[in-house]
Amino acid sequence: MDAQNVDMFLMANSKYLEGHQMFQIRERLLAMDEPNWRMLQFMQFDDPVIILIVSLVTGPLAVDRFMLGDIGLGVIKLITCGGFGIWMLVDWVMIMGITRRKNTEKLMMALY
Amino acid sequence: MPLTRNRLNLFLSLACLVGYGWLALVSRLKPEEVGSKYDVCLIRHFAHIPCPSCGSTRSVMSLMHGDLAGGLYWNPLGFVIFAALIIIPFWISYDLILKKDSLFRFFGLFENTLRKKWVAILAIVLILLNWAWNIVKGV
Repeated sequence: MDAQNVDMFLMANSKYLEGHQMFQIRERLLAMDEPNWRMLQFMQFDDPVIILIVSLVTGPLAVDRFMLGDIGLGVIKLITCGGFGIWMLVDWVMIMGITRRKNTEKLMMALY
Repeated sequence: MPLTRNRLNLFLSLACLVGYGWLALVSRLKPEEVGSKYDVCLIRHFAHIPCPSCGSTRSVMSLMHGDLAGGLYWNPLGFVIFAALIIIPFWISYDLILKKDSLFRFFGLFENTLRKKWVAILAIVLILLNWAWNIVKGV
């Protein structure tokens, strides 16, 4: 794909992705062909801010983990009152990074 | 960090250790005294309503004393936790000794089963019913 489109895609989605992977993602996007590029436009990412708000509001219920697809961990968090509250507090700090990592993994899977 | 077999085993081992430590801490109390003496649930602490898993410790303690009715009354999720606390250490040991990943594969299968729409809806309804029961009981 041409560099302008790739840069626009990255600018629009940078808040959803891990910063340190950007260079690698850009290289892969530049090497991408037209049909795959079109498919990529419809890819939806989880918003780290929304997940953080969900985590803050519904902490011990593990809705944040379920939204990210961590079903097993979500069940464990749910049946332990948010890991006695400690896991919930850790997730409040970590969940935005975890969301970005999950989004980056999802994009990488589509790219490779 | 993606969840690998070793990370899952480590996480579940730590969770079991914390669970056993917690049970050792509260073991000198009667099940009905735990909720008033140690309040670890932030929802109950701040919102004054129990969460879906409140009463699990009392349930597990009742089950440890062979009181199945008590275990069911305090929180049916206690059965799941009780079974997990017994089975998981043996399962992890089995996997480590024989260098297998059966627990990790079971965990993946469990996640995929819960991803099915009707299973997820059933699980959510059961959890909500349990939550409502917890609120009515005032555990």
